[in-house]
Amino acid sequence: MKILVLNCGSSSVKYKLLDMESNEELGTGGVEKIGMKGSFLKHVRRDGQKVILKGEILEHQLAIEYILGVLTSQKHGCIESLEEINAVGHRVVHGGEKFNSSVLITDEVIQMIVECIDIAPLHNPPNLAGIYAINELLPDVPQVAVFDTAFHQTMPDYAFMYGIPYSLYTKYGIRRYGFHGTSHRYVSKRACEFLGLDYTNTKMITAHIGNGASVCAIENGKSVDTSMGFTPVEGLMMGTRSGDIDLGVVTFLMEKEMIGSAYVSTLFNKHSGVLGVSGVSSDMRDIENAIAGGNDRARLALDMYEYRIKKYIGSYTAALGGVEVLVFTGGVGENQTGTRQKVCDSLAFMGVKIDAELNAKSRGKEVLLSTPDSTVKVVVIPTDEEFMIAADTLGIIERL
Amino acid sequence: MAEEIIEAIERYGLSKRNRKRTLFSRIGVVGCGKEGSVIATTAALNGMEVVFLEPNEESIDNAYGRIEEKLDKKISNWGLTENEKKAILSRITGTSSYEDFSGCDFVIEAIRYTDQTGERRITHRKEVFKELERVLSVNAIIASNVTTVIVTDLASELEHPERCIGLHFLSNVPDSQIIEIVPGLNTTTETYEKVCKFAKLIKHDFIPVMESSGLVSVRLFLIQLNEACGILLEGISSVEDIDKVLTVGFGHRQGVFRTADQMGIEKIVRLLENLWDEYGSLKYKPSPILLRLFRAKHFGVSTNRGFYTYDNYGNIIK
Repeated sequence: MKILVLNCGSSSVKYKLLDMESNEELGTGGVEKIGMKGSFLKHVRRDGQKVILKGEILEHQLAIEYILGVLTSQKHGCIESLEEINAVGHRVVHGGEKFNSSVLITDEVIQMIVECIDIAPLHNPPNLAGIYAINELLPDVPQVAVFDTAFHQTMPDYAFMYGIPYSLYTKYGIRRYGFHGTSHRYVSKRACEFLGLDYTNTKMITAHIGNGASVCAIENGKSVDTSMGFTPVEGLMMGTRSGDIDLGVVTFLMEKEMIGSAYVSTLFNKHSGVLGVSGVSSDMRDIENAIAGGNDRARLALDMYEYRIKKYIGSYTAALGGVEVLVFTGGVGENQTGTRQKVCDSLAFMGVKIDAELNAKSRGKEVLLSTPDSTVKVVVIPTDEEFMIAADTLGIIERL
Repeated sequence: MAEEIIEAIERYGLSKRNRKRTLFSRIGVVGCGKEGSVIATTAALNGMEVVFLEPNEESIDNAYGRIEEKLDKKISNWGLTENEKKAILSRITGTSSYEDFSGCDFVIEAIRYTDQTGERRITHRKEVFKELERVLSVNAIIASNVTTVIVTDLASELEHPERCIGLHFLSNVPDSQIIEIVPGLNTTTETYEKVCKFAKLIKHDFIPVMESSGLVSVRLFLIQLNEACGILLEGISSVEDIDKVLTVGFGHRQGVFRTADQMGIEKIVRLLENLWDEYGSLKYKPSPILLRLFRAKHFGVSTNRGFYTYDNYGNIIK
């Protein structure tokens, strides 16, 4: 059983072809700069060899056509014909309130994803472009949509509602949806397997921290709260996003800087966060180098970044009424040992204790960091959204 | 193992179909002055590849400067990031050869008013149209950024006048995203619809306008300006206060005198004279105040003096 996983962004398509029996990655890569000058496809072969294919790639359909072409090519491919692909799993960013789990893509489902464009104007259209392309290129292959928001649909209403007139919720669907759902679901499940715990009877907090970042409170396998909201700008401070902010600041700045909604959105999504505070970069490695060179604003940005993580973990501990497992994942969560140490140290009051030496040398792999006397098990679980999408896809097509 | 294998992608496609280029992936702009640079920047901002034509190296460099200035302004207003600016600039190419427009499916003529007279000669623009027809495929659309000139006239000597159309970008107020689309007598519905699609791709509103001198925008604006000059002349109110009534009282983003200074008094006088010629109505006769500024070469922001006085960044000093 071979499953192709596609993650279509506005100008990129990432892909992974997985053999579900052997659990093997057959080919992986991505197309970048679709519709722009300098577009290319980067493919990593099964033997690890990287291949860059340069040329004009004007739209998603063409990008996917090339991906299929490379996967079936004699020179760099891994399958002989397209018939070997049994199913395609798509990452879809916003499923709104319509989807609380992954689904087989039908015309009706496509229509419902189209209806979610209003609340995810940047993300859903490219996701749909990928679905349409596969419809065209592999018309007989079943497709499955896996939603970033679906996992959080179990949040109780008092957690997902904003304190604004209820009519705006009914009129526009203004509420908290949360994102990174596939990642939070994967790492939480995987952490329980890794620790030998019962997923349906564990209180967990997962911290997916990287350039985009969110924390999720999970009770007995269900998301009960998460830090991102109506859009991914709420919650933690991120690489270039501000995270939580008094909206008085927004209206004040709109007046003072004489800017409209589009510019405000760019300000809080692209100019803010670690980049905006430090003035250095949104990349934590650059920040660490700057701190080593005595840059105070880089130090401040990192302090803020870590402080917000601590604050969210603390508040979700309260929301859950205690926590048994804390999971770190995402680029920073998996690799930034200093941030993990700092956050865990600051949670010592609630019994969190990790092995500093082990933490310092653990990067990008599954590991139990907490000491035996820690009241909370702290683990690092590298996220694998593609695997989760493939697993969901497999589960759904097996029932067909 | 070799670091990376680099190859061309073309032979990895599944088939030859779908190889068609998407519409408007590459567009051309003839003349990259004030208006041309707005058009070039807007198209590149929305992912299109843009080729602009200027007569020589120096004017190409100046045009790049204008484009960069616009992008930097966006960055300082938080509307754009440095990386995005780099990507946008990489999509824009300057040239002084019409041959470089080959492969464009849409070219907009936006040659500027000469500094001395504020005139754009119709004969010159007709030559541009002919040059474009020479290098472009028959399906490519040729558009002119028109205000008072009639596109049917410009297209009259072409072999395929059906693919010519008029466009008017309202480029004087920053980020005003609306275009007047002006089909000529011979313009086909297909051409019109394609241009509407172009407007949508660059996220602009658009209105269709019957071919007529001054369109909707220019007529409305010039009459208001002439009347404002009349009020000024009668000593009823001041430049600042008249603008204040418009901005505060009528919710305009900026006043009529400020806008006039940005457009350029030399251009305004010429436009009014064109309308006066065309319609013969006294309401289009340039106000003596406009003529006075024009003769004194107080053209507005470009010369640091017009109704207001400006610093080199276009900010009002008084």
